[in-house]
Amino acid sequence: MAATRFVEGLVAGGYAGHVTVLGDEPVPAYNRILLSAVLEGTHAPDALTLRSPGWYAEHGIDLRTGTRVLAVDREHGDVMLVDGTLVPFDRLVLATGSIPTLPPIRGVVRHDGSLHPRVHAFRSLADCDRLLAAVPTARRAVVVGGGLLGVQVARALSLRGVATEVVEGGEHVLHRQVSTPAGKILARSLTRLGTTVYTGARAVRLHEQGDSVGLQLDTGFVLDADLVVLTAGGRPSTALARGAGLEVRRGIVVDDHLASPTDPRIHALGDCAEHRGVTTGFVPPAWEQAQLLAARLCGADVVHEGSRSVARLRATDLDVAVLGDPVGEEGEVVEVSNPVAGKHSRLVVRDGVIVAAALVGDLSRVGLITQHYDRGTVLGVREPGDLLLPDPVDAPTVLPDEAEVCACAGVSAGEIRACGSLEELRETTRATTGCGGCEQTCRDLLGATPRLEGVR
Amino acid sequence: MSHGTALPLSPVSPGAGEGTRTHCPYCSLQCGMTLVGRRTTTVQPWAEFPVNEGALCRKGWSATGLLGHRERLTTPLVRDRATGEWSSATWDEALDLVASRIREVQAEHGPDGVAVFGGGGLTNEKAYQLGKFARVALGTSQIDYNGRWCMSSAASASTRAFGVDRGLPFPLADVEHADVVVLVGSNLAETMPPAARHLDRVRENGGQVVVIDPRRTATADRADVVLQPVPGTDLALALGVLHLLVAGGHVDDTYIAERTTGWEAVRDAVAAWWPERVERVTGVAAPELRALADLLASRERVMVLTARGAEQHAQGSDTVLAWIDVALALGMPGKEYAGYGCLTGQGNGQGGREHGQKADQLPGYRMIDDPAARAHVAAVWGVEPDSLPGKGRSAYELLDALGTPAGPRAMLVHGSNIVVSAPRATHVQERLESLDLLVVCDLVMSETAALADVVLPVTQWAEETGTMTNLEGRVILRQQARPVPDGVRSDLDVVAGLAQRLGSPIEFATDPEEVFAELGRASAGGKADYAGITYDRIRDEQGVFWPCPAPDHPGTPRLFADTFATPDGRARFHAVEHRGPAEVVDGDYPVHLTTGRVLAQYQSGAQTRRIGDLPDDGAFAEMHPLLANRLGVADGMPVTVATRRGEMRLPARVTTTIRPDTVFVPFHWLGVNRLVNDALDPASRMPEFKVCAARVVAA
Repeated sequence: MAATRFVEGLVAGGYAGHVTVLGDEPVPAYNRILLSAVLEGTHAPDALTLRSPGWYAEHGIDLRTGTRVLAVDREHGDVMLVDGTLVPFDRLVLATGSIPTLPPIRGVVRHDGSLHPRVHAFRSLADCDRLLAAVPTARRAVVVGGGLLGVQVARALSLRGVATEVVEGGEHVLHRQVSTPAGKILARSLTRLGTTVYTGARAVRLHEQGDSVGLQLDTGFVLDADLVVLTAGGRPSTALARGAGLEVRRGIVVDDHLASPTDPRIHALGDCAEHRGVTTGFVPPAWEQAQLLAARLCGADVVHEGSRSVARLRATDLDVAVLGDPVGEEGEVVEVSNPVAGKHSRLVVRDGVIVAAALVGDLSRVGLITQHYDRGTVLGVREPGDLLLPDPVDAPTVLPDEAEVCACAGVSAGEIRACGSLEELRETTRATTGCGGCEQTCRDLLGATPRLEGVR
Repeated sequence: MSHGTALPLSPVSPGAGEGTRTHCPYCSLQCGMTLVGRRTTTVQPWAEFPVNEGALCRKGWSATGLLGHRERLTTPLVRDRATGEWSSATWDEALDLVASRIREVQAEHGPDGVAVFGGGGLTNEKAYQLGKFARVALGTSQIDYNGRWCMSSAASASTRAFGVDRGLPFPLADVEHADVVVLVGSNLAETMPPAARHLDRVRENGGQVVVIDPRRTATADRADVVLQPVPGTDLALALGVLHLLVAGGHVDDTYIAERTTGWEAVRDAVAAWWPERVERVTGVAAPELRALADLLASRERVMVLTARGAEQHAQGSDTVLAWIDVALALGMPGKEYAGYGCLTGQGNGQGGREHGQKADQLPGYRMIDDPAARAHVAAVWGVEPDSLPGKGRSAYELLDALGTPAGPRAMLVHGSNIVVSAPRATHVQERLESLDLLVVCDLVMSETAALADVVLPVTQWAEETGTMTNLEGRVILRQQARPVPDGVRSDLDVVAGLAQRLGSPIEFATDPEEVFAELGRASAGGKADYAGITYDRIRDEQGVFWPCPAPDHPGTPRLFADTFATPDGRARFHAVEHRGPAEVVDGDYPVHLTTGRVLAQYQSGAQTRRIGDLPDDGAFAEMHPLLANRLGVADGMPVTVATRRGEMRLPARVTTTIRPDTVFVPFHWLGVNRLVNDALDPASRMPEFKVCAARVVAA
């Protein structure tokens, strides 16, 4: 995804050089973060394609799918593909993303390095296809890893009619994103939706059980399953960079120009890159980096200052938004918690600015809070608290006589009350004869007039 | 508060033959009304006219308030630049003076030294005659009009998508039969109240109404679904809808294959606009977006209507294109009771843009750089095609150039109060003041007329006859109901008088019906073809929809049923990207400022502010209690709204109906347009009236 964004940026910026895109998947880049939506069934798989092969051709870009890169030769300035082809470069951009972490569960990986047939990763469209193919015959599934992706996959499987359980090693689901009370509320919501969550538990061994498998936890439980999905996070894919002798820590180290300090001709962006000690796993920062690097290569003098991240859970009936790092960020915490209603909102505020937030179960103000977070709006003293509470509801009141009811004709409640009937009202004031929107109010006001013949 | 109802009232429609059938002097709805009495004129309903069915808003009911008004100008006025004093002049003196000054300016600076600035409230006849006057009598390319600030983004988008720009490609009453009507940036319940009756019938008929607006307006109050995006993000919202339509398999593949081109690029581009990304950009929660897409996908007949809220942006034409993409993806344009339309704003916003008042166009919606168009129009005018100038500057660019070394040194203004209605108005006022000659034709001493060297008093609405083209493309007839006041002349007389004094090679007719017949010939064969329309037909048929190429042609109430007006007959999808507002909020200017209208006033207020029966409380700053509390102000307290271009002081109006990060100020009074941004849309040259960055503090 980051690579597509980068190439779009080069096209928009009128980049003069020749561009080659190498990707090891058999299809052009697609919107990876919507894979769980495909699994859930809300998105058609072909709706994920970001740019069709025709688009690349139209812009003179050499797109090579299904092409794995074996090594980068910095001395000769080329990369070697698995089939031995050499592709020369003046500049190289690594957007290799991340690779799923395989938790240390005995029996998950077979001797030949492949996954057990009942075990699935969930990173690529191919993974998604394979999992979807297994769903019709599956009754029970276990998702290992209760982060954003794990919860999304669990909900998707559940909506597909598979009884699904989640195993999470931390104290609660989304433990990197939300505080304990919010995590507990989420677990309760998941349970209500039919998904049990096992927290503080690690899967240690996969047993063959005839038709199905049994996943043994370190708590002693054995969970029967037809499917096991591993969503235990990922790590930056750095093998090529390491092989080329570039500086790599957790990710491929880049400076504020997104260039490797080892070799300024080589850049990295997205999940595989480490900028100012930070690696991220989200799209918005990857896209910001992509746009910035494209602009730089097209001649603009811009530097990368880091990104603000907003993570949203994409799962039906579970509402979660995470802005920044609401667990780790320093600041004053404003919280509203309503476990009974399944809602928990937390704002971390520093000098009047929302620096992080977690919203669980109540997204009524997510749009506004995100705007304030992204723009660094300085809020008033009461404002963070007021943001988490609904607008005051106007109590029904008796309209004062001077209140204007019919804006089209400029007629007040008192003038309406002075009329005996709608016909009289229309004739004497023209109320209701413009846009017609006040007719019900006028009827109510007329009806409220005590009428003598009604008195006995 | 009550504003009384001193209006003369009569509940019954006058009988046939009694009174004069005409239309309201204000907005593009051009409500039918009957004027009774030649000396004391009253407004009566005209129940049979289908657009408003006898309904009027208070602006219409009180419209006669400007007839015989004490501020009415009835003599030409000439200002002494040294003393600033006005003195009255005879028409001959005034026209002689203007003509001689024009000659001087053109002798020194060439034909383009003189500019003409028109208005979207002028009749078709005046708009046509102004364009001809500029090109033939003045020989200048420098003509444009304030309609550029109205619906030009929709005009540009419609032309690119459908090959023709007619606000609504169907009669307004068609909306009643739609299953879903999506209003993007329209507050029609306040800006054209009788139109809201049609909207209510959508719901009575089981349909649903969607309103997209940063404010929960009076129109939103009568809708089923209301989305309140951040100002300037309607485009991203449309991309989000498209994304979900693709994702859910809800696009009409057959329609796309048979009637459109360009879909693939749009489909690919919207893959990157998933709901949560749209939420971050627009501030509209992802579930609300999903609900909207589900609604659109589940109904047979969807109608998308845009107005100024979507259009008055530096990405206004792309925003309209994105919403047209939505309509096309659903297979709606050309389908009965469905499709896309623009709700035009000014009274003759439609006709005003069709007959040569625009810098790049000739009558009949012909492009001025098309040799065939030039040949046709030149033949009708009796001049050589090569004598016609080329493309001039768009409205704002024209004003921005006034008095500069390369720009015009003199300007004639007809039907426009530029000082109030232009963006970055302080700068525009400076440009006007730098001119060697400013001539303004108006009814009253407007803020713009007050800067002029010569003010010419012209007829208004009920004192003259002429056609208008309403938001539906229906050509209607405003008929004279009152004698012309002594000392007042029509703009047609002004043009003819100046043309003759300037030695024009051709004469300019002053009889509106004669001008209209000529307009018909000039428009013949063009997109907006009026050739078959006559005053009599308009009277008999309650208006005639263009194109109407021949006397026996019935007119065209509905476009696109079989084909689009593009060379290959297919509609065009356009892959557009969200760029966002030209000026983003920041630490110094942290609030979005948006502008708009209120029910009781019209445009720059030159007319409505002078009508005693209309409440005039002045401008206000509408804001949410969250923002008001942050600023420490309560309802009614004064605040200062400042932008990089200027500031104004006005009372706060605190309400929960507006987004808490946005402040709204109506533009009918001198003020807020001094604050707004003059960034222009690259295609339509529309300024960004609807969003800029502001700071609000307690005053």
